[in-house]
Amino acid sequence: MEGLDVRMSGVVCRHGRVEAVRDVDLDIVRGQRVALTGTNGSGKTTLLRAVLGLHRHGAGRILVGGRDTGSATEWAWRRQACAWIPQKPATGRFPLLAGELLASGGARAEAAEAADKLGVGHLADRPLHTLSGGQLQRMYLARAVGCVAAGAGVLLADEPTAALDFSGQEEAADVLLSLPVTVVVVTHDRALAERCDRVLEMAAGRLREVR
Amino acid sequence: MSALAAADVGQLLQLVPVQRAGIALLVAAVGLPVIGVVIVGLDIMPVRFAMMHVALLGIAVALLTGLDPMLCALVACALAGAGVAPLARTPDGLSGAMGLLMSLAIAAALLVLAVSGVNAAGAFSLLWGSILSVGIADLWLLVVLAVVVPALFWWRRRDIALLLYDRELALASGVRVDRLTLVLLVLVAVSVAGAIKLTGALLVDALTLLPALAARRLGRSLLSITVWAVGIGVVVNLTGFLVALRFDWPPGPVLVLTAGVVVLAVHLVPERRISSWRAPASASLPSSH
Repeated sequence: MEGLDVRMSGVVCRHGRVEAVRDVDLDIVRGQRVALTGTNGSGKTTLLRAVLGLHRHGAGRILVGGRDTGSATEWAWRRQACAWIPQKPATGRFPLLAGELLASGGARAEAAEAADKLGVGHLADRPLHTLSGGQLQRMYLARAVGCVAAGAGVLLADEPTAALDFSGQEEAADVLLSLPVTVVVVTHDRALAERCDRVLEMAAGRLREVR
Repeated sequence: MSALAAADVGQLLQLVPVQRAGIALLVAAVGLPVIGVVIVGLDIMPVRFAMMHVALLGIAVALLTGLDPMLCALVACALAGAGVAPLARTPDGLSGAMGLLMSLAIAAALLVLAVSGVNAAGAFSLLWGSILSVGIADLWLLVVLAVVVPALFWWRRRDIALLLYDRELALASGVRVDRLTLVLLVLVAVSVAGAIKLTGALLVDALTLLPALAARRLGRSLLSITVWAVGIGVVVNLTGFLVALRFDWPPGPVLVLTAGVVVLAVHLVPERRISSWRAPASASLPSSH
């Protein structure tokens, strides 16, 4: 199995004075599929964003593929190693074509192929702000496939099926779980969580193993 | 009457300062609207006011120390652009920073001017230029901007498109966001300050911001918006300049009003009609990748 391991120890993240993630320890072996569940505001998104450095963690360590971060080069490696599907794709201050989003993952052809499979390939010439929530989510999923083709070993997906209809949810889950990488998926979709190797739950910033 | 006026315009165009102003406006229309695209994209519309005051601070320091005023103004603006770059980390950081920068710079400038005993109005006048007084050196500066700015845009078009769409997506896509933001802000600061000196404070909006605002509505990707901005810049500058010559009006206000009319007209056109223009326009544009 391909992919990179993810190790977290004593991770703490704050939003101002509020501790959103509290002392999280987590070991994910390479290739494992992990569902991260929990109520709104429990710290799931913050934890995922901390892996990418989009939310600086106040304490603790996060290693991906055994590598820590600190320098700009290390962060660049981390962001290339971890594909990301954001919870709320930005509507953007400036237009970006869907084709440019697909290419931003580093493997345009593979991402475009994935977009075709997900039924949004024909929208590549459209600006992202003209797409529906579901179409946008499929585009980000196709981009993530491109990231993996470009060498990413971990996929961090934040509610990647939330805006999709039932058949779309199943289709997206098939694509997500077929990728030869470590997958950490924040989800409220029980069917998707059931298909993962492990299910974790976050509550008030703390993490516990469910299955 | 119109034949007489046309002859007047023809005669005016024989004058070297008028020819130089026309060329300067044409060259400026290639580089400065692209800077306007960055200003709109980074949401830093008050940058002109901020840079005016920062440049004044630079001039005040120059008067105190005996250095070249314009050089000090440009360096001060470059440093200010670089200084506010870290504030781009939050969505509203830069826009608020421009207001803060403006207040701090004018306060510091007035303090330095008071200490150096120089009249504030005199210092401000060093910053004011006019398109009809553009010299050869100024023209070269505009040529450099016309080459460097579009070249940077073409070279880093993927990174700039991602940054102006969403900073976090750009980060996740491996763009060195901090470095790129810094370069763009320094370029914006220096271009705006330079353009104020070359063309006068009022004209800066017509050359930078207004073409970009109209283009923002017409284009649907960074590349097409940039092409539209330059195209509108060229048309507005030439039209405005000829109208100003024809009626013997000051070029600055005429150019701003011409650009303003274009922005208003573009915003009044229904979205449906704009979409039909975009299809052939975007089909003819090269891919940005």
